Amino acid sequence: MKKLILKSILYVFLIIILLEGLVRVFYLGKDTPTRFLDTYEVEKWKPNQNGYSVTGNRRQNFSEYHINASGYNSYREFTPTKKKIEIALVGDSFIEGFHQNYYNSIGKKIEQKIPNIEVYEYGYAGYDFADQLHLVYSYKEQFDLIDHVVLGIKFSNDLTRGEYKVVKSRLALESPIHKILKKSKLLVYCKSIGVLDPPQELIYRITNILKPKKKIIPKNDIEIQKLKEEKDKMYLTNFKNLVSKYGYDKERFTLLLDSQITSSAFISYLEENKYNYIDFSSLFKSSDHPTTLIYDRHWNNNGRNLIAKSITDYLINKGFIKK
Amino acid sequence: MLFNSLDFFIFLPVVFILYWLVFYKKIQVQNFFLLFASYVFYGLWDWRFLLLILASTLVDFFVGQTIYTSKSKKERKRWLWVSVIFNISLLGFFKYYNFFIDSWIDFLSVFGNDVKSTWTLQIILPVGISFYTFQTMSYSLDIYYKRLSPTKNFISFATFVSFFPQLVAGPIERASNLLSQISTKRAFNYTQCTDGLKLILWGLFKKVVIADSIAPIVDDIFANYNDYPASTLIMGVSLFSFQVYGDFSGYSDIAIGTAKLFGIELMSNFKFPNFSRNVAEYWQRWHVSLSTWFRHYVYIPLGGSRVSKLKSIRNIIIIFLVSGFWHGANWTFIVWGGIHAILYIPVFLMGRNRMYMNTVVAENRWLPSLTEITQILLTFFLVTFSRVFFRSQSITDALGFLEQIYSNFYYETYQHPLGYRMIDYFILLGIFVLYEYRIRKDERAPFKFTSKSTRFLIYVLVILGMLLFFDDSIDRSFIYFQF
Repeated sequence: MKKLILKSILYVFLIIILLEGLVRVFYLGKDTPTRFLDTYEVEKWKPNQNGYSVTGNRRQNFSEYHINASGYNSYREFTPTKKKIEIALVGDSFIEGFHQNYYNSIGKKIEQKIPNIEVYEYGYAGYDFADQLHLVYSYKEQFDLIDHVVLGIKFSNDLTRGEYKVVKSRLALESPIHKILKKSKLLVYCKSIGVLDPPQELIYRITNILKPKKKIIPKNDIEIQKLKEEKDKMYLTNFKNLVSKYGYDKERFTLLLDSQITSSAFISYLEENKYNYIDFSSLFKSSDHPTTLIYDRHWNNNGRNLIAKSITDYLINKGFIKK
Repeated sequence: MLFNSLDFFIFLPVVFILYWLVFYKKIQVQNFFLLFASYVFYGLWDWRFLLLILASTLVDFFVGQTIYTSKSKKERKRWLWVSVIFNISLLGFFKYYNFFIDSWIDFLSVFGNDVKSTWTLQIILPVGISFYTFQTMSYSLDIYYKRLSPTKNFISFATFVSFFPQLVAGPIERASNLLSQISTKRAFNYTQCTDGLKLILWGLFKKVVIADSIAPIVDDIFANYNDYPASTLIMGVSLFSFQVYGDFSGYSDIAIGTAKLFGIELMSNFKFPNFSRNVAEYWQRWHVSLSTWFRHYVYIPLGGSRVSKLKSIRNIIIIFLVSGFWHGANWTFIVWGGIHAILYIPVFLMGRNRMYMNTVVAENRWLPSLTEITQILLTFFLVTFSRVFFRSQSITDALGFLEQIYSNFYYETYQHPLGYRMIDYFILLGIFVLYEYRIRKDERAPFKFTSKSTRFLIYVLVILGMLLFFDDSIDRSFIYFQF
């Protein structure tokens, strides 16, 4: 018995070492850049990091990222001046674009369509509208030099709060224990493909074993509709609060949204109050090819092309930029 | 509790350690603990059905003793019928009740009688009922045929019926093998344990990598067969052959390996059936414990092959139809069994049914001959063809599937329903077939390599394979649980 236990431990150890090596050799586990909170309490990536982002068990999506000096994934440094024409794209992981090579981003595609402009991509996974406006507000001097700012907004996700606060749960990923765990590519890989979900669920189950279970009362259609309306109302109030707190330049700022998944009340509000927005839903709907990746819901190359086209057409049609 | 769940990976080491470190001193304690663990294992799925196991255990325990002590043959037979009727009634009610009612209603509707199905019930099929009822029946049958003396120890008998590694999907053990081991004190054996762990690893590989990764493709093709051309449908049913093999043989390997950890040897259930050279050999290699059961308790009592040719053919048809019906309460399984009878009879009439009993393909050679390759491919094709009925939801679907192959006989590239690369699966299956061919001589030693480093490297690759094809979004239950 003793021999079995000792040999099992030895085998498990050796297998883990070899698997770690194989995961590294075949680059199955993604690199995770380090995040930090700057002096303005803006959460971003630590500048000047490089690495590879991997999605899927069998490396089905593999892309390179480069964090620039400003702390965002981009091939270009952000140096706005009055002399150049600059466009800023602010948003979440869709703008951040770890799922694409950093040199083939939406910004790069826009630059290819409109020569002599610079596109700065202020994308960061998890950024909601509060994060975005707080960023613009904190770096006002820099953003004032930028000619046009496009803010990506997903109505159902990005307006859940009416005031910016540091998201501690995201920063907790930089705790010493997480940093150590991140060093093991095998562990990162296992986590990304869901192998660690059952143990995590088990731990959750055990820690919550004594807590009384919440009774889920089924809701009828009228109640669901009522709840949705209340939520939409709350999101709209949050939007108003954020705009009034951090400021919003209606002349230079444009929202990027998909009207298919946006509340019609919110769209009406934008239109009534002269907020500019780009709706990319029709382009996506009419596309013959898929617009999202297979392994996650981020835009694929076709999707990014369409987004770049939407933004370019909008900027030219509105006369913000001359081609 | 599924073998491929985290719950089992906690349960197994705990039971193993307690078994060998705490409850190892006396056989009664060993068995009592195994029984307790088995009831926990089953009860975590649905504790109410433990009562059924207990009822089946009690009936056959007492029937077994009564048959043994009965003096007249008539009395012995009467008691045997008590066991058979009780167990078949359990199966009949939980598994076949609705089938018979629906079939009766369908039958009446042929004559224009529109009967509403008010008699059908919402019944949950207790997991493993087809397996443990057959196991307990075999005990009474063996006592009846004087092949076995009954045990007087109820705990040992209850452990034999509910031994958790093989409780829910076999192998269906005979008392002469399993009960005799349970009635003897087990001593810790290092080699047996490591062999068990290796089988568990290989079984998990077959389940997680082969069966589960193919499942979404098969599900998609069978659910939407009307939308696909022949090339896709043929691929779908061929993949199903691999899926069901990986799923069930994987389960059996884990069961046999787990039993080894407790010092118990279960019978082999799968002996590389994909390398069979004819249908008869296939049935000597596929679900061996069930085939053995039917041979011992149905085919031989009916006269087997020692009667006239015509009666032998009748016996073959009976066991294949019953075997098909055992799999599920659906006409599709009966047709599946019927097809196998049709495929088996010519082999039997040519006297080739025992030809490959104790040999494997390319017995003393590296590569199979051209004849063997042709035989293997033909057998695989025939068995796979029958699986259209095994996998389809109804006879109409199965016929529709075959009709679609016939009427849309052209090739078209198939896209994975989740968009994954299909080439990954073809490479995987290619490697799997080649590896199984390499180890084809011993189904109980999947990592039989003299070089330690080669063996170790294969362990690592097997685990890496599991990671590469792991998918937490799919249903991980075993196909044979529904039987």
